[in-house]
Amino acid sequence: MTDEPLLEVNDLEKHYPIRKGLLNRQVGAARAVDGISFEIERGETLGLVGESGCGKSTAATSVVRLEDPTGGEVVFNGGGRAGATRNEGGTHPNDVTRFDKTELKAFRRDVQMVFQDPSSSFDPRMSVGSSVAEMLLVHGMTDRHRRRAIVEDLLERVGLSAEDYDRYPHEFSGGQKQRIALARALVLNPELVVADEPVSALDVSIKAEILGLIEDLQAEFGLSLLFISHDMSVISEVCDRVAVMYLGEIVEIGDTEEIFADPQHPYTEALLSSIPEPDPRAKREHIELTGTVPDPVNPPSGCRFHTRCHKVVQPEGLNLEQSVWQALITLRYRVASDEIDVEKIRENAGAEDAVKAEIRTEFDLPQQLSDPEAERTLDRALERLAADDSEGAAEVLNAEFVTPCEETHPEYTDHGDGHVSACIRHREEVRSEAFADD
Amino acid sequence: MATQRPERFDQVNWEEVAGAGRFSLSTNAKGLLVTTIPLLALAAYDWLVLDERTPTFEPVGLNVDVPILDYMFAFTLLLFAFYVVLPLYQHPRLTKYYWREFRRNRPAVVSLVWLGVVFVLGLVGPLLITSPEQNVLHSYQPPVYLSVNAANAATCAGEVVDGMCFGTWQYPLGTTRAGKGVFAMLVNGFGITLKIGFISTFIAVVLGASVGTVSAYAGGWVDEILMRYVDIQGSWPTLIMYLLIIYTFGGRLWLLILLLGTFSWEGMARYVRSKALSISEEEYIKAINMSGASAFRVVRRHVVPNSASSIITDITLLIPGFLLAEAQLSFLGLGDTSVDSWGQIIAGGRDALAFAPWIVLAPGLVLFLTILAFNFVGDALLDALNPEAAAEAER
Ligand SMILES: Nc1ncnc2c1ncn2[C@@H]1O[C@H](COP(=O)(O)OP(=O)(O)O)[C@@H](O)[C@H]1O
Ligand SMILES: [Mg+2]
Repeated sequence: MTDEPLLEVNDLEKHYPIRKGLLNRQVGAARAVDGISFEIERGETLGLVGESGCGKSTAATSVVRLEDPTGGEVVFNGGGRAGATRNEGGTHPNDVTRFDKTELKAFRRDVQMVFQDPSSSFDPRMSVGSSVAEMLLVHGMTDRHRRRAIVEDLLERVGLSAEDYDRYPHEFSGGQKQRIALARALVLNPELVVADEPVSALDVSIKAEILGLIEDLQAEFGLSLLFISHDMSVISEVCDRVAVMYLGEIVEIGDTEEIFADPQHPYTEALLSSIPEPDPRAKREHIELTGTVPDPVNPPSGCRFHTRCHKVVQPEGLNLEQSVWQALITLRYRVASDEIDVEKIRENAGAEDAVKAEIRTEFDLPQQLSDPEAERTLDRALERLAADDSEGAAEVLNAEFVTPCEETHPEYTDHGDGHVSACIRHREEVRSEAFADD
Repeated sequence: MATQRPERFDQVNWEEVAGAGRFSLSTNAKGLLVTTIPLLALAAYDWLVLDERTPTFEPVGLNVDVPILDYMFAFTLLLFAFYVVLPLYQHPRLTKYYWREFRRNRPAVVSLVWLGVVFVLGLVGPLLITSPEQNVLHSYQPPVYLSVNAANAATCAGEVVDGMCFGTWQYPLGTTRAGKGVFAMLVNGFGITLKIGFISTFIAVVLGASVGTVSAYAGGWVDEILMRYVDIQGSWPTLIMYLLIIYTFGGRLWLLILLLGTFSWEGMARYVRSKALSISEEEYIKAINMSGASAFRVVRRHVVPNSASSIITDITLLIPGFLLAEAQLSFLGLGDTSVDSWGQIIAGGRDALAFAPWIVLAPGLVLFLTILAFNFVGDALLDALNPEAAAEAER
């Protein structure tokens, strides 16, 4: 055994071109996955977590090359490919993105996938047994009885019976179908299984059963797992390490225990705070993630999370209460994207002053900011807003309420033991610590 | 040694298996091949060896000729047997499920029985009852048990009571002006109907389904061109074109069938395309792609069979259209007057509607019932062939 990881993903990118017009010209790209890197060791389970729309599924399909990534490399060292070294040109012989047809077909036996939606993951006109056995057939096993024997045995291993071979998808429940999906993923005896939200569509009790089954199978057959979920509590149950993904990027990665005990990135904190606490008196504060993940066609500049971050940094010289500052940033982006319906507020409130007050209340802003400079700016902006000049208001807000987070793209900071995160606050902390030491 | 084989998935030696030969035909393809080859041989013999006037089976002492249309018909029947009927038998569980769903719709079950009758009569009838000869003496005989003024029938084949001519069992549904038995013509018409239904549909399905899937899978300009052509064909004044072509080349049945099939598949192509597009988004297609299957296999084994519900429901709309079109063209005097299609019988009887209405009514009724039956069956199939939707609805 070498100490190279089973899977090594470097700067993986998947940009979907956005085309428009008669000539189908490319007018932009959805940067669904925008330079992610991680490794999976043999026998390890890596979790990939993030809200819906963060690019997790795209990352998965790009890693297994169901879709061709637009950049980066995926080095897979399993299935007798161990010990390979880079070519002179710097390319890796085990780079999945460069596999030719034959290599790709062999790769399909080493990496398999389980999908999210059990209701559509089987051909409704094929018995589930044939669906599983088709994997064997595609790879050249022409002996029908042999296929059947293998699949029947496997169905029993995932908790179904051999007779289920001849039944059709509509005869099974979601949980049962997910068991069959596991059988289908296993039948070619892969080393790595990519599971894209395998339990998200299931009821709580069934969820636990399937998670248990996944763990049993993993232990019995020495599988490595890339486990995708939007649910931190599921991640905590099955994963050895976690990568937190936001808008095409990995913002934090580390051992599950580390991440859960000491999350470094505000996004991770927010995700963790959404787990229902078994102990109601537990002191973890609840952080609400407002809005949805921004459009990957136009991701926010700098740190992509700053538009929703509860710890978004204040510019030098400003010292507002953090929640007020966050509300200002939220207001700024809502005004910039022209999402505030002044007309409607006016109907309810009436006079201009009342409109301004109403907007403040709606965004949880105090009627008077503690910083006089900021208060003047906000008042100016609200005045313009009340006068239906949202462009002018956006201009004022954009010029004055600028956070350092939008100016620099954060680098990764190492917190030790492979725990890494990307937030500019760390850099500042590192700096101030250095000062303290002097 | 079956017992010595590794039967656990993780004990398979893939290096060994993956190298093995992989080309194998399905049972259905084998069956079709085995039965089509003699058919082709017979056709080739008929075409190359025998001269045009010699009946095909004369050399073995039978005075039976096989026209070109019948080869086509036989082939479509074989296709039907191996790719519609046999799969139903091969997948009893799914068939039972479809049947349970289908059975809920009573009118559709009755309709299916009627279509079965049409099928069997059309297949067997023309063999038992040959096309009737002209007999001018027996023109305008009334159907059995009914009577007409004896002055209208040339000579009455049955009894004449009080100047009324009664029908006889010799002509259960009466006769035409030429003295042909309407019943015998009708039975032969079943055969013609089957040929129109099967061959035109075959042509339309092959063209429509291929264009639809190619369009969906190729995308880009191929899709664009094919779909624009489909639009053109959809807005083309087909009837005028039929009239021109038939006027120029004569109203031969095979020409009519060819035209009907060739210019009616645009709806099918659209349905299949959109269905194929939605199927290719399904997770099971991703899962199959994950197996490393070829694009051809994915289309052939998964996309096309799952588009079948669209194809079949469209067929149940197409066939009535074909039958009506044939009847209309016949009515305009543009059909093939040498065959006893239902449309031809109706066209032949329209002048006698006042005093011999049975000539129009009998085929008209049969045509009406058949078209109605297709509509009912189509409705029920649409519901039955969609297991997921039904399963969702039950939860
Ligand atoms: N084929 C596609 N074309 C354009 N954009 C896409 C495509 N597939 C996904 N996206 C975009 O990429 C982003 C990430 O999607 P996805 O990977 O499905 O996220 P997740 O699985 O985390 O919910 C989404 O904003 C989605 O709109
Ligand atoms: Mg997803």
